[in-house]
Amino acid sequence: MTADEYLKDVLASQALGDDSNEVKALQKHRADVEKLIRDSFKDTALTIRYAGSKAKGTMNKESYDLDIVSYVSSDDNTAGETLEDIYNNHKSALAKKYYVEPRGSALRLKGCDAENLGVDFHIDVVPGRFTDETQTDAYLYQSGGDKKRLKTNLDVHLDYVRDSDVIDAIRLAKLWKVRNALPIRTFVLELAVIKLLEKKKNKSLSAQMEHFWTELRDNSTNLTVEDPANPNGNDLSKCLDDNLKSQLADSAKRTLEQIDSSGWEAVYGKTEEQEKAARVEILRRAAAVATPSRPWLPEE
Amino acid sequence: MTWHRNDPALYEKEKAEVEAYFPDLHFVVENDIVYVRGSFPLMFEGRVLDRYSIELQLARNHPAGLPIVRETGGRIPRRLDRHILSNGTACVLIPDERWRLWPIGTSLLKYLTGPLHSFFLAQATVEEGRPWPFGQWAHGAKGTFQFYRELLNTSDLRMMTTYLDYLAAKKVKGHWPCPCRNGKKLRDCHVNQIKELREKISRKDAERSLAILKVAGESAIEMTEAYAPE
Repeated sequence: MTADEYLKDVLASQALGDDSNEVKALQKHRADVEKLIRDSFKDTALTIRYAGSKAKGTMNKESYDLDIVSYVSSDDNTAGETLEDIYNNHKSALAKKYYVEPRGSALRLKGCDAENLGVDFHIDVVPGRFTDETQTDAYLYQSGGDKKRLKTNLDVHLDYVRDSDVIDAIRLAKLWKVRNALPIRTFVLELAVIKLLEKKKNKSLSAQMEHFWTELRDNSTNLTVEDPANPNGNDLSKCLDDNLKSQLADSAKRTLEQIDSSGWEAVYGKTEEQEKAARVEILRRAAAVATPSRPWLPEE
Repeated sequence: MTWHRNDPALYEKEKAEVEAYFPDLHFVVENDIVYVRGSFPLMFEGRVLDRYSIELQLARNHPAGLPIVRETGGRIPRRLDRHILSNGTACVLIPDERWRLWPIGTSLLKYLTGPLHSFFLAQATVEEGRPWPFGQWAHGAKGTFQFYRELLNTSDLRMMTTYLDYLAAKKVKGHWPCPCRNGKKLRDCHVNQIKELREKISRKDAERSLAILKVAGESAIEMTEAYAPE
């Protein structure tokens, strides 16, 4: 198996199709969340949509969240006068059914009934307000930090990632982040991958990943990313500080050394297919030395 | 009176042996019945390949009777094609073959490390989408017919039932016609084979199989011919 075949297998084993149990559970939650919000804001013109990895096609089974945006029309004050009001009113609406944990611009939903007490549903609701009637740019409230208002554009974000031609590399980088517990925001990592692979789109996946890690190892101090929805307005430099850059460089160095000394499996482990094949092989070997015994069944 | 009170020394011996080898299996006596419950490991080369939650209900006449085995974890579907009855009972082996897999007189530990281990090893293999590693007997009369076809090397149902008649009889007489139906008397033909089989297969098992085959009749053969064992 070549490195690229192996990486494709890793991605296949991490895929979450629409018919997977995980996605079905998320979709059920999404329907519940949407109903809860709409019932709470009956007079409000709301746009509720998937965002995040589900919409971008960068979801991995090992670690996934569902982002749902709930945007109010620009001239609508029924859900709140200010961005902070909209944020807090959404929080109150969601608190009827969930334990709600504020996280920056998002509201993380957790279980609050006896059956699911404290269970993280991996769902973030992001309330906001469209800036104008074109319903493209939106303002989000930021519960932490100096700046309380963040301008963003969901479609620009989605298109930027979806059209990047490096989706597979982004998914592998996200998996690498999870496996190495790197504290980088997923969106910032996505932007970094897109930027570093801008001129490597025609390369193989393994070559792209090696280039990505080589750049992080050798040039992370110079790495900057810009928010494509607001290149001059949103400062992402705080999300990529020197400490984090140093961590990324160290992890990238270690990863490249692992590939060099032990191959790609040292980075991503055995794929499900490989694990299954190994299990079948060991069961076969165990059966070869076991007492041959055939099961029977009396008629029921 | 059940076996564990009839023979407390045997109970203690079986319990000590099994619990020493399988620390996660435990003997429990409930309503005068001995159960062995817990986590059953599939071992190979010193490694635990897998585990199944099981309950063995030892026969009141243990070790003469076979244990009733249940998979209690709900992992194996209760389906005939997995050899699990709807009440959760696992059909580990065909009783007529017991002499080969767990001869009377051998310990319960031998049952656990022998046919029971093979049964769950096979289940784990099937779970991976692979065929039964040791094959499987067809259900009911078909499986009984298959077993005796292999054992006696004949597909002649009449010959088979004559053999079973002789195995189920209290005594066998040398002047009886040989079941191979070559016209000779038993003493001049297959008497040694019959003696050997009577030592291996209990009268009770032979009686049961004979009844099964008589009820099924020729359909056991027809069904078996249509059945392609793995």
